[in-house]
Amino acid sequence: MRITRSGAGRRRRTAIVATTGLTVTALLLTGCGGSSDSGSKGADADGNITLTVADFGQFGYKEAGLFEKYHELNPKITVKEDTTAEEKNYYPKLLQQLNSGSGLADVHGIEVGRIKEIADTKADSFADLSKVIDVNEWVSWKAKQATAPSGAVIGAGTDIGPMSLCYNRELFEKAGLPTDRAEVAKRTAGGWEDYLALGEEYKKKAPAGTYFMDSASAMFNAVVSSSPEQYYDASGKPVYKESASVQKGWDLAAEAASKKLTQGLAQFEDQWQAALRKSTVATVVCPAWMAGQISTYAGDANKGKWDITSAPGATAANWGGSFLAVPKSGKNVEEAAKLVKWLTAPEQQAAVFKAIGVFPSNQGAYELPDVKSATLPYFNDAPIGQIYADGAKSIPEAVLGPKDGVIKDSISTQINNMEQRGTEPDAAWDAAVRTVDKAIG
Amino acid sequence: MATTTPTRDAYVPPPRRPQKEKPSERRQLWRSRLWRFDDKASPYAYIAPFFLVFGAFGLYPLLYTGWIALHRVSMTGLDSMEWVGWENFDKILHDPEFWTSVSNTFLIGVISTVPQLLMALGIAHLLNYRLRASTFWRTIILTPYATSVASAALVFALVFRADGGLLNWTLGLVGFDPVNWANGHWTSKLAISVIVIWRWTGYNALIYLAAMQAVPNDLYEAASLDGASRWQQFLKVTIPSLRPTILFTIVISTIGSMQLFGEPLLLEGGTLGATGGNENQYETLSIYLYNYGWNLGHLGPAAAVAWAMLALLLLIAAVNWLIGRAVRTSDSAVRRGATR
Amino acid sequence: MTLTSPTPTAPVKRAPTPKNTGPTRPSRFRMGAGQQMKGGPFAYLTLAVVGFGSLLPLYWTLVAASRTQDEVLASTPPFLPGGRLLENVATAWEQANLGKAIVNSVIVSSSITAATLFFCTLAGYAFAKMRFRGRGWLMTAVIATLTIPPQLSVVPLFMMMSGLGWGGQLESVIFPTLVSAFGVFFMRQYLIEALPYELIEAAKIDGANNFRIVVSVVLPVARPAMMVLGMLTFVQAWNDFFWPYLALNQQNPTLQVALGQLSASYTPDQSIVMAGALISTLPLLVVFVVFGKKIVGGIMSGAVKG
Repeated sequence: MRITRSGAGRRRRTAIVATTGLTVTALLLTGCGGSSDSGSKGADADGNITLTVADFGQFGYKEAGLFEKYHELNPKITVKEDTTAEEKNYYPKLLQQLNSGSGLADVHGIEVGRIKEIADTKADSFADLSKVIDVNEWVSWKAKQATAPSGAVIGAGTDIGPMSLCYNRELFEKAGLPTDRAEVAKRTAGGWEDYLALGEEYKKKAPAGTYFMDSASAMFNAVVSSSPEQYYDASGKPVYKESASVQKGWDLAAEAASKKLTQGLAQFEDQWQAALRKSTVATVVCPAWMAGQISTYAGDANKGKWDITSAPGATAANWGGSFLAVPKSGKNVEEAAKLVKWLTAPEQQAAVFKAIGVFPSNQGAYELPDVKSATLPYFNDAPIGQIYADGAKSIPEAVLGPKDGVIKDSISTQINNMEQRGTEPDAAWDAAVRTVDKAIG
Repeated sequence: MATTTPTRDAYVPPPRRPQKEKPSERRQLWRSRLWRFDDKASPYAYIAPFFLVFGAFGLYPLLYTGWIALHRVSMTGLDSMEWVGWENFDKILHDPEFWTSVSNTFLIGVISTVPQLLMALGIAHLLNYRLRASTFWRTIILTPYATSVASAALVFALVFRADGGLLNWTLGLVGFDPVNWANGHWTSKLAISVIVIWRWTGYNALIYLAAMQAVPNDLYEAASLDGASRWQQFLKVTIPSLRPTILFTIVISTIGSMQLFGEPLLLEGGTLGATGGNENQYETLSIYLYNYGWNLGHLGPAAAVAWAMLALLLLIAAVNWLIGRAVRTSDSAVRRGATR
Repeated sequence: MTLTSPTPTAPVKRAPTPKNTGPTRPSRFRMGAGQQMKGGPFAYLTLAVVGFGSLLPLYWTLVAASRTQDEVLASTPPFLPGGRLLENVATAWEQANLGKAIVNSVIVSSSITAATLFFCTLAGYAFAKMRFRGRGWLMTAVIATLTIPPQLSVVPLFMMMSGLGWGGQLESVIFPTLVSAFGVFFMRQYLIEALPYELIEAAKIDGANNFRIVVSVVLPVARPAMMVLGMLTFVQAWNDFFWPYLALNQQNPTLQVALGQLSASYTPDQSIVMAGALISTLPLLVVFVVFGKKIVGGIMSGAVKG
């Protein structure tokens, strides 16, 4: 029995052809392959550049049409946005990309709860923006947060999150509560205890299936972020177990949970979005950037039903806010830095504010009429410029720690358990401490 | 069967290096040496790729895991390892969440494996009949195997959803209240088991079918001569003949359920999936490892979890070996009885 | 020599070739008990129910992928596909980098399959038909590696890949799975039965050196088993989730990673997620429809899930 080799050879060729065919088909399917790349390429033959901006939640650039505008101003540059819905899922991936040094976009959003960790441990991976941007333009504490031990500024501040309260006028009316902004503000002037009292009043006549607040963890975050001492002390030691603001926020959240004032939804998740769509929550604690989330998820059907008033109490707070950072590994670091400079300049921050209510961190923007007299049509033309501007200047300078984000998320999860499952506050607190200690390591 | 090294004389191999003209005898000797070397070295050359790849990406990492488990390594600085000794093991062994995930893994393993294999046996038995379009049936039943973990988990996440889920709608037709499947301790484990069962039942059924077809017919004939009913034949002949195969599928399914990751991760997606639910009610060991290493960013404890998994596997292997030995002895007894 | 393997092989007595799937062709096996019996209506009914259960989730994927999320989650779910499939696919495509993911999945699965076939056939042949020192315990070692789950080495692998500069690259997914213990075992089992020594001897007398024997004798004989192993490996590589999910990111994902990211972080919109799931499942379903018979035969000749 002679076996010639031609058979095997032909078969092998067939296999290669088949594989190649598959690959080519796939390439054709994607429209000439390559173009769907991460964009961290140098310029193509005509000098055209694609810059990728990776961010989370809503930065508002898309809504304000800024990327198209940038392309008009710089015809050779196209900007692509790559958005992750939740920051909690975005950050681990960013760390992974930083570790592998691949897959990074040209510009990355970084949340304030993570900026310290990045500045402390990964500053070498990012370009120093202080060479391109005048950091004195920002509110002072914003620039400080993004400054690495070496003095390099790795992030340009986008927004800050001064507090307000978003409420659903329609539900308030049905429950027999005042709907006028000033009235509502007056009712909660005494602080968060007043807010809970208002909630109990709401509950008495609440329309069936609706709740006073979406999530007690939002209130917890608001309380903590209005205090200069949050989870860490100035020396960088985690003190969240003793911190007065954490204690107060936790107790209020536990009270809200036990009185069933909240629907107990994990914010930003699927069911939270559904609750906004179906209007089952009457109030949402609103850092400036939250308004954009509400208008997106509640949808056009609920336009004009919502309104915004000043946050309970008289404390100014900053919850959230982000930075734009430029990884050094990109192929167009210089162009990316220019884009960041442009995006965080007063006019653009004002445009974003106008579009979705994300409040500028660049002080130059505060004097612009677009900010000063801004109103949000979706929220019954609430004068957000006026509501936020006072608060923004008196926000205390918070001490940040490397694991702020994780701590916040872990405690929020446990608050959620108190609301949803009726977990005892002490047990929930223990579980939160366990997770946080694990995260701190 | 012994192979002898044959003498080769009818063929002049292409010279592997330029050779000078030599007297033919010496050339002969040289060539046979070459042949012998070829025969000796080739097998090692053929198995070398497997062992090289396994050594580099299997064994070395396995040992290195143990080394990492004794250090503090953070996702934010992979280059700096700090010696901490047994601290990581201490951490995970004192973490209730770890024990929760051990028991979850075990429970989900049991409630997904047992029904799955029983159903697979039944289906295999049906497929073993003479059927029209038998290939069609076999292919249909294997379709879930073509579905990836990710797709399967996502579809079932939609089926088990609390609001707007297909299953709750079905229950609603019958008059039950909607169940928040992912939230309950048992219901969430059940949901994950259903995903596993759906994906693997057909596959195991085919393995059993193959084994059933290999059962010699005279065994059945002997049994029916003894007056055994069909059911008794199934119990007394089919099942004992399938024992090694059943044991084998149990082992494979056990190893598989130790690795459950995609199903819990995507059951509720996002952060809840990454911690196996808001009370870790469906957190498996793989999720625990992933959460510690990739979400919280501490690779030392994650490596310690890997070693804990290895210990558990060895434990299962030991139990399996003991059972296997017992089965083998009783098997041979049965066989002796059958051939008598 | 006899092999003392920790896992018995399935099935116990195997026919030389997995060609027992012809619908009417008399089986090569001796008739089992059930085989003399024609299936009654009960058998068909039960199989129909099982088949329905097997296909329903896939059908539901199609329905959900072609509707809006509101329709999917409505109090009465839809049971027929709607008309939004292309829009949803386009959105998923945009959000999850699916184009690149498909190319990557093809590259990864093809390379892994090709490498596995080549290396495992070589090693399987060596273990089946060649005599060398240490053959027994080396084979036992191969089988022992079957039981090691990938979870045990992901932490150092991740660090190694970062060190090698392969972090987030396809290499990090391809290299660890270039060979598979199951493949070696599978080819060995097949070649023991299917490759007569006489063929090898004949080739040797013809003066072929060992590598020529592999090329002109072993590979042709092993072809049917290689087809089966190739398909099983491809399916597994295509569907692999755990390690790729840790190693890759959404800039450079495989389909499964893109799908995981799509649902876990990008959009909570279920219909778009389902559109992604549909895209990632479709290629394999097509393969199953075309090669169903072969794959069934392959699994019945003793496949293992890995």
